[in-house]
Amino acid sequence: MKWLQRHVRPEQVRELSLLLLLVVAVVFFGSLIDGYYTSRTFNRIASSVIIIMVAAVGQTLVVLTRNIDLSVGSLIGCAAYVTGHELGLHPGMHPLVAVLIAMALGAAAGVINGALVTLGRVPSIIVTLGTLAIYRGILVDYSGAKTITTDTLPAWLLNLPQATLATIGNLDLREMVVLALAIVALFQFATTRMNFGRLFYAIGSNPDAAHLVGLPTRRIVFAAFVLSGALAGLAGFMTLARFGTITVDNGRGVELQVVAAVVVGGVNIFGGSGTVVGAMLGAVMIGTLEQSLFRLQINEFWRDALMGLLILLAVASDAVILSRMRALWARTELKLIAKPAPAPASGGAQR
Amino acid sequence: MTGPTDPIFELRNIAKRFGATQALEDVSIALHAGEVHALLGENGAGKSTLIKIMTGIHRPDRGQIRLAGRDIVIGSAAEAQRHGIAAIYQEPLLFPDLNVAENIFISHQDRGLLTGWGQMFRRADSILAALGVELDVRSPARGLTLAAQQSVEIAKAISLNVRVLIMDEPTASLSAHEVAQLFKLVRDLRDRGVAILFVSHRLEEVFEIADKVTVFRDGRLISTRPRAEATPQRAIADMVGREMGLLQPRPGAKRGERILAVRGLGRGGVFQGVEFDIHRGEVLGFAGLVGAGRTDVGLALFGIEPATEGSIAVDGEEVSLRSPRQAMARGIAYLSEDRRQLGLSLPMSIAANITLPVLARYLNRLGLIRAEMERATAETYRKRLAIRASSVEVLVAKLSGGNQQKVMLSKWLNTHPRLLILDEPTRGIDVGAKAEVHAMIRELAEEGIAILLISSDLPEVLAMSDRVLVMREGRQVAILDRDSADQETVMTAAMGQEAAAHAPAEAPA
Repeated sequence: MKWLQRHVRPEQVRELSLLLLLVVAVVFFGSLIDGYYTSRTFNRIASSVIIIMVAAVGQTLVVLTRNIDLSVGSLIGCAAYVTGHELGLHPGMHPLVAVLIAMALGAAAGVINGALVTLGRVPSIIVTLGTLAIYRGILVDYSGAKTITTDTLPAWLLNLPQATLATIGNLDLREMVVLALAIVALFQFATTRMNFGRLFYAIGSNPDAAHLVGLPTRRIVFAAFVLSGALAGLAGFMTLARFGTITVDNGRGVELQVVAAVVVGGVNIFGGSGTVVGAMLGAVMIGTLEQSLFRLQINEFWRDALMGLLILLAVASDAVILSRMRALWARTELKLIAKPAPAPASGGAQR
Repeated sequence: MTGPTDPIFELRNIAKRFGATQALEDVSIALHAGEVHALLGENGAGKSTLIKIMTGIHRPDRGQIRLAGRDIVIGSAAEAQRHGIAAIYQEPLLFPDLNVAENIFISHQDRGLLTGWGQMFRRADSILAALGVELDVRSPARGLTLAAQQSVEIAKAISLNVRVLIMDEPTASLSAHEVAQLFKLVRDLRDRGVAILFVSHRLEEVFEIADKVTVFRDGRLISTRPRAEATPQRAIADMVGREMGLLQPRPGAKRGERILAVRGLGRGGVFQGVEFDIHRGEVLGFAGLVGAGRTDVGLALFGIEPATEGSIAVDGEEVSLRSPRQAMARGIAYLSEDRRQLGLSLPMSIAANITLPVLARYLNRLGLIRAEMERATAETYRKRLAIRASSVEVLVAKLSGGNQQKVMLSKWLNTHPRLLILDEPTRGIDVGAKAEVHAMIRELAEEGIAILLISSDLPEVLAMSDRVLVMREGRQVAILDRDSADQETVMTAAMGQEAAAHAPAEAPA
């Protein structure tokens, strides 16, 4: 136990507790729903979850720096629509170019968000609430309220969601799922093993200290918004591939699911702690709940309310578990590092 | 000059101005390698400004900065660090979510692309071991004691190979044992050839650790003496200066009946053992250094941070003051030192601010505000205190500091207090407004209001008070009558040199 406590920190076990919660949820729904443990369930959850997951990775970076990006819902819609529109005009376009268009569009919007937050010194919740509406407004104007339909899109795109990289038993490992997992792995690596990534934690943990010790605070916050935008763009591309039909309303409200995934995943909304893997698990958790409640044929409105309740439960239990563990760790630490008893009370050299 | 070498870090003829305040004027100071240079001065003497210039947070208006014989410009905190200049503050600047090792190395600008956790843990371990500090480098900085946090800061400075280390009141919140440990580290750094600027309010510590002592007063450098030539008495004399300024002493008041009796008052770990009486028409001054616990006593009497021990009696009846509402019901008013945060609603009008604490008096039967009556009250105070504003409808945010102060005073006078606690009532206001506040204090005392005056402006406390209570590190160390209170006695008591004080009047039991 002592060895364990010296080498494993409560913050690292956080993801494990979320994983445990996920298993409980799956077992619970499995007992209620016939034929729950099938590859169909897995594939359905996976294909719906990856969009939220990719955007949640970007959101995690932003939230770590003690900011928030609410504009992702509109960014996903814009990226999906514009990319779909361009593909309709140039059906011969290379798939990679299409992905780049989506991501560049998102990144450009992220540049605007980041500039307003870092240079304009406007709180990010206000900036992105504004740009959420503005980007949607621009989309409505650009599209003339027309809808992108599958018949204008190239076949490779429509087949992409079914494209399978490998099959393990009954489970298909879809290319898009692999892409999403690769992104999670990449950013998990960057935020835990790269010095650039560690700065996101430092800045969110104590912004004043970050400034006083000369960390590039603004550049990092700016980078967080640009990356969040680019990843939202990619999520937009995934949305386009998954649905094929894109209205100007596409992606509306997704920002809340993305933020929910990040928070359920244990990323502190006040910055400084949480992991990309945690956010991924948060997204999986939300996707699982949503699909399962749908399978239970629960009325849409109740579904939302239940989701909200479950999110609150997840966050609350996470907080309780974490503080309990911190207390436990602190107690044993006192024993581990026995210090000489301090001299009489505080108060310097007095009589 | 004692050192055989040239200074490693030198500031020449530095001047810095903030608005109307000349924070530093023509200051020259030289730090030598392997030397601890102490910097003393009262609150507002310009020490913090000097530190901020050294660490690149402020740029001087005039003057030269030289490092190892070359002129340099320190444009940012990162640049200061690149030059090997680092600062440790009273409150360490750690990242609570990062572990100890990462806190030590986070600001290394040459860390490369990848985080070498293993190597980082090993290096952090060896630096801390060399310092004789036992800490788990993998645990997050959250929850470390202040002393442990400072060890981390020192380890950080060592890892950065600093040449100049500035320590801004590092001992202010440490216990005696922790101070001893810190001093061991400081000597260790000095022996490695680091130039250390040590800022502290505690004279005995300064004389224990310093090789040189420099005193600032009112933004000017008054003296720099080698340790051998410096004495606590001379340092205090340099700090307070000789002249009393233009303050007219208030004529002594005839004591009325006792309003408040405080016995053994304390709040866990913040202050303790405070005892005094205050009478009608009396001004009781509270002197002491910043952080001595004076404001905390004020907050306890007004019920904002209620006391946890001792008793408070109003008119001989013991009371429990657990909220400002209860305190106000007993006729106590508190003028906060923090005008912007606690004192005033800046986006509201003068009239609205003045009537806020007693708004119930201004409501009609329907519960709506009687604007006429509100305006009339505000108008009375505007005339009485000469608040310079075109009307009482002007927003408080638009007023100058002095006029804001008068609005706040009006607000509390309108509660018809019997005991008025004034916390730094003249901080940051100009000389004219200051004189008006002083006149007001005189007038109110004559009307029979008891006044508790907390101020860091020592000449002000001495001129206005009938008696002066001195606090140091959360304890009451003296109550001096106006005849026995002078600048040096008070400063001596406030800084913990009571052995040298000639008149330690009624000290607490």
